[in-house]
Amino acid sequence: MTTLHVISHSPFGDNRLASCLRLLGTDDAILLCGDAVYALRAGTAPQQLLQTARLQHRLFALAEDAQARAIDSTLAEAVDYPAFVELSLRFDKVNSWL
Amino acid sequence: MKFAIAVFSPAHAPSSRRALRFAEAALAGGHQIARLFFYQDGVHSASANVVTPQDELDVAAQWRAFIEGNQLDAVVCIAAALRRGVLDATEANRYQRPAVNLPAPWELSGLGQLHEAAQVADRLVCFGGD
Amino acid sequence: MAKSLLIISRQAPWSGPSAREALDIALAGGAFDLPLGMLFMDDGVFQLAAAQQPASLQLKDLAANLQALPMFGVEKLFVCAHSVAERGLDPASLSLPVEVLDDAALAALIGRYDQVVTL
Repeated sequence: MTTLHVISHSPFGDNRLASCLRLLGTDDAILLCGDAVYALRAGTAPQQLLQTARLQHRLFALAEDAQARAIDSTLAEAVDYPAFVELSLRFDKVNSWL
Repeated sequence: MKFAIAVFSPAHAPSSRRALRFAEAALAGGHQIARLFFYQDGVHSASANVVTPQDELDVAAQWRAFIEGNQLDAVVCIAAALRRGVLDATEANRYQRPAVNLPAPWELSGLGQLHEAAQVADRLVCFGGD
Repeated sequence: MAKSLLIISRQAPWSGPSAREALDIALAGGAFDLPLGMLFMDDGVFQLAAAQQPASLQLKDLAANLQALPMFGVEKLFVCAHSVAERGLDPASLSLPVEVLDDAALAALIGRYDQVVTL
């Protein structure tokens, strides 16, 4: 079964994103929201980590959070709330890293 | 489809608002919400004593309006709520506390309600943290 | 058939009620006879360290709740090998009988459950 992992903590000084990437299944996806969208900042270690994880079409970011933080990245597909709901149904389950 | 939505953060946390916007989008998309369950610091999202500055978004009030407007089942974990001082009239009376901050539409109940909601829902989606 | 739930506990034991409240979810589900698994990872593995003395912080020991897991029907207990090694714990001396899983096995484990809650 596939999992949509939802992360909302900044990757700087928190290991949720790193832990998530270690156990990410090949058909799983990640949705970054809240401060987790800072992982998309160009030239940073977390962004490097995401790039090497080869998450094409499996990495999403909540649009309002990226916009609020001036994050403009092509690495993640931006989604609004209706798309978030749709994503939660496209995958078999949602695992939020609280 | 049917959602069970669990909230683990207080009204002032971004994830409480995120949960609310997700819940609104789920209903707007023609889906159902089997139950909203508030656990850990999420019990503060249900507090009627939250006072938000007038020029800021009052997420606690929006939760209340959303639940009432859509007649949703909104359960606050009783053990987590007692520990954090979120009490309905019965509990305030039982423990002889001076304030009640959990009126209807919220309902205090146990963690079994989370499991039951997760069993009947197609998706369990949790919101918490930042 | 009842949906299975995996609870992933990532919180260290003595930094607030979080670890205890994650355990409470498992214990409540066990009482309903639901198919439950519990995985300790990241700082959550510290809950399983031997010879802890939370009484020095005037805190109630988690050990009783942890030991109760199998009695409440939560028989599937797992621990993340990476987290254990990273924190200098010996997987053989943990306070509960747990299955130690590497990253690939963890990915498969999460895949097997119908629902996952990570606290």
